[in-house]
Amino acid sequence: MGETLANELLARLPQLTQDRIGTLALENARANAPHFSHGQSIKALRGAPIGKGDSAVVIAAGPSLHRKPYAKRIKETGYEGAIVTTDSGLVYCLRNGIVPDLVVTIDPHARRIVRWFGDPELNEHHLAADDYFKRQDMDQAFADELAYNREVLALIDEYGSRIRIALSTVSSREVVERVIGAGMQVYWWNPMLDDMQDVPEGGTAELLALNGFPCINACGNVGAACWMMAGEVLQKQHVALVGMDMSYYDGTPYRNTQYYDVAVKIFGEDGLDDFFIRTYNPHVQAWFFSDPAYYWYRTALLEMAGEVDFSTYNCTEGGVLFGDPIQFIPFDDFLAAQAPRR
Amino acid sequence: MSDLLKGNYKLAQPVTDVQAAPTLEEKFEKEALKRLGGSIAFVSKRKVIWDDESDKPKDKTGG
Repeated sequence: MGETLANELLARLPQLTQDRIGTLALENARANAPHFSHGQSIKALRGAPIGKGDSAVVIAAGPSLHRKPYAKRIKETGYEGAIVTTDSGLVYCLRNGIVPDLVVTIDPHARRIVRWFGDPELNEHHLAADDYFKRQDMDQAFADELAYNREVLALIDEYGSRIRIALSTVSSREVVERVIGAGMQVYWWNPMLDDMQDVPEGGTAELLALNGFPCINACGNVGAACWMMAGEVLQKQHVALVGMDMSYYDGTPYRNTQYYDVAVKIFGEDGLDDFFIRTYNPHVQAWFFSDPAYYWYRTALLEMAGEVDFSTYNCTEGGVLFGDPIQFIPFDDFLAAQAPRR
Repeated sequence: MSDLLKGNYKLAQPVTDVQAAPTLEEKFEKEALKRLGGSIAFVSKRKVIWDDESDKPKDKTGG
């Protein structure tokens, strides 16, 4: 592992994230203001009776999503708790016959995020400009991107009106228009952009002043935002995570990782071993590797798991998200404890 | 030694401390590094600020 380079990047992640999204997030929030009358505040879901019992399953879209039969196990056990998923996990759920109770979207990027809902404007020009999806270790259907996009458009149009979505105020125009156009049930929220106590005139304060919607700590990424929503908004006491690898399986080609193109530009092909962080997971006795951003997400979620009042169970059965106070258990064990007896 | 040298002569031109402008390579690296950032911010120890005053954080131990 490249201790020095990886650690240096890890330390810079908060600022790099601010550089990447800070300005764009606020621009999007201002531009979205005319849409805030469509839907309601996420506050309407606070403690709402969504899903039976006091548990939730968060479905994230890490590499394990297509290696482990999570959906099959949910259906077989008759689990009736809340299902919360990321924008990137929505199509997986629908294709497997699960209409999630809540979908969360957050990243302000314009063209990429709308793809999870089907991009009505997608064309060959867009694909030529960005091979982000084509490269990655995920759904093979993405290989034929235009055909896949048509399928997603149809699927989301069909199920849209049955789907609740926690729609970030900093989402792009493309995402907001697509979500509203598909007839989804919109619940607005602000992602925290900084600590309002330390930066009283910062981005979080500006969002709160702009629209008054609750500000939620998304902990760096949409998977963690789902987890926070399940515990703090839906107020579930037992929250399981699946597809939350925060890493890649050992042996995955570097080219199939999210930040490959940027890493190569900065560090070169020969420097990639130092860019990635290798971690041994003793629970499954296997190695995984993360890029610095995903390792930062892991660190953030582990820290926040110690701050919240609900219990977290990582049922991904792989990856690098383990350590006190997160309980790393098989998904079947969680389902057996939470699913209704038959 | 520096005390001895200081003021032994006068410069014809005043010297100002000018930061070197970033090279094209540095600019390129800075732009590329931006793309390594996360999806959204992480705010340590904070959970939710609801829109009523009572939920606003009072200190780092509150949510």
